[in-house]
Amino acid sequence: MYFDWITWSIWLIGLIIMIVWIYVPIKEFRKLLQDRKQMDQSDS
Amino acid sequence: MAVIDIIIVVAFLVITFLVGSFFYKWVGDPDDFYVAGRKLTPFILAAVITATNVNLYSFVGQAGIAYQHGISILWQTWTGNMALVFSGLFIIPIMRRLRIRTVPEFLEKRYNRKVRLLVGFLWVFRLAFWLGVVLYTAVVAAQAITGIESYVFWIFAFAVVAIIYTMLGGMWSVAFTDVMQFVFMLGGALVVLPLSMAAVGWMPGLIEKLPEFSLTLVRETGTYNWKFILAIFLLGIEWASVDQGLLQRAFGAESTRTVAKGMVLAGIVTTPFALLWNLPGLAASVLYPGLENPDQAIPMLLSKMVPPVILGFVVCGLISSQLSTISGNLNGVATLFTNDIYENLKKRKATNKEVLFIARLMTFLVGLFMIFFAFFIPMMGGAVEAYLTIIGIMDMPLFIVGIFYGLLWKKATSAGAILGYLSGALAGVIGKFVYMFDFNLTTFISAGVALLVLPIVSYFTKSESEVKLNSVWKAKTTSEEEEKAGQIYNIIPKSNRGKLSLTVYLSGVLIFIGGVISGSSGWPFASLVAVVGMVIYFAGGYLKAVND
Repeated sequence: MYFDWITWSIWLIGLIIMIVWIYVPIKEFRKLLQDRKQMDQSDS
Repeated sequence: MAVIDIIIVVAFLVITFLVGSFFYKWVGDPDDFYVAGRKLTPFILAAVITATNVNLYSFVGQAGIAYQHGISILWQTWTGNMALVFSGLFIIPIMRRLRIRTVPEFLEKRYNRKVRLLVGFLWVFRLAFWLGVVLYTAVVAAQAITGIESYVFWIFAFAVVAIIYTMLGGMWSVAFTDVMQFVFMLGGALVVLPLSMAAVGWMPGLIEKLPEFSLTLVRETGTYNWKFILAIFLLGIEWASVDQGLLQRAFGAESTRTVAKGMVLAGIVTTPFALLWNLPGLAASVLYPGLENPDQAIPMLLSKMVPPVILGFVVCGLISSQLSTISGNLNGVATLFTNDIYENLKKRKATNKEVLFIARLMTFLVGLFMIFFAFFIPMMGGAVEAYLTIIGIMDMPLFIVGIFYGLLWKKATSAGAILGYLSGALAGVIGKFVYMFDFNLTTFISAGVALLVLPIVSYFTKSESEVKLNSVWKAKTTSEEEEKAGQIYNIIPKSNRGKLSLTVYLSGVLIFIGGVISGSSGWPFASLVAVVGMVIYFAGGYLKAVND
């Protein structure tokens, strides 16, 4: 079976970008949420 | 489209709405609403910028051009990405240091309040017009892809959801829904690429079945030839330096260096991403040759090749691309009106509560205007052409006045800026509507007139105060915020690593331009050299953003 390195390389780059952009923003969102909770607690 | 796909799309819209609305509680003051409290990190910023730049035009319009004219249209996205890197490294850090929210606000800092009000007022209309065009093209494309002809359903899908969550959570909602939408967009494109390439016999099949010019990146002749690449690169720099929808997100960055990193990342990420929608466009030209309307290429490919359920997710990706553009620009107009016009015209200082109310009201009203306008575009005809004309007439003089002279020439005066901007725009109007010049020439004329008039008027009028000029000129080197944090981003590098990065970056520029120009003679390696230059450019840009 023929394996198209060019197409699958482009696809793989896209997949890696997608995984990174799921993982990192979730991590950063959690940090922002934590900061906000701390801010709310110190306000009250 | 099957019932299951419609359920997936509706579920996606509900989730988007809930995610967007979640951030209502996060908006405590106008800065939260306008620029997400200036807390966006590099990855979030990059996703947000990419999601705003990639819309249905990319998936349908640009892929349609690839279908008709070949792969050279890729340069529209690639040079735009290069412009993002340029602007992120050299222009936006200055504006971020000034802690502004809009481009007109920068104009007040550099010139005076009159310049700010004039440009702010004109730009509210410019962005509202753009929103109408975006909504209309989204509805038309969605109708073609899904077969659901209901105009009202699609207006609901695209507009109402975006209006409500943008109104509630401002830039916080825009940012996090953008991240989610970016992932969906990418996911959709990852499905379509292998399906379409497999159908044409992968890359060898594509090369064999397409004429040679279709796969030439830098072409000697044709509409999208080497001259187009240079022209669109220059226009990209203008766009990346003054576009409110884009800049407002960048102003949300947590620091000056984050702006540079985020914009460089956004530019680099979208570069391979662009292949994900242009290659299917090429594949469609092999699979469905001779379509009368090339914009039908991708909708046809999706409806014929993507199985149910997966189609639902791909359509969510396409809707995502448009929702992010709409929400970002809605937020942009609300910010422009509230920040540059309302707060300036009021005699007393408005309270935070009042400003937030007006910003939300404006989001709602502009949203209604967008819906109203979208209904009328079919009767107007040529809306996209009209939009391109507006870019040429309104954006280019702003770049000359605000960025070119505003940042480089201290003697540029407020009167020069106003007359330079108005005469440039007027010359563009005359060129377009009296002499019927095309988009390229109109842009050139409006820029040229602004370029000439501003220095002449400035020569006869009084310069701005030294205090005002110094605050802008100081922002070219540092800010109190950076000094306090001990993290200074040097636009002109001081360390050896920074200087080396800049050298790599500039080498990339030269190699890229050399490659493009050598395409004029049909040199077979021109495309390769231009791409190598672009890669070096990105590498140098990234190194410069993280070093020094």
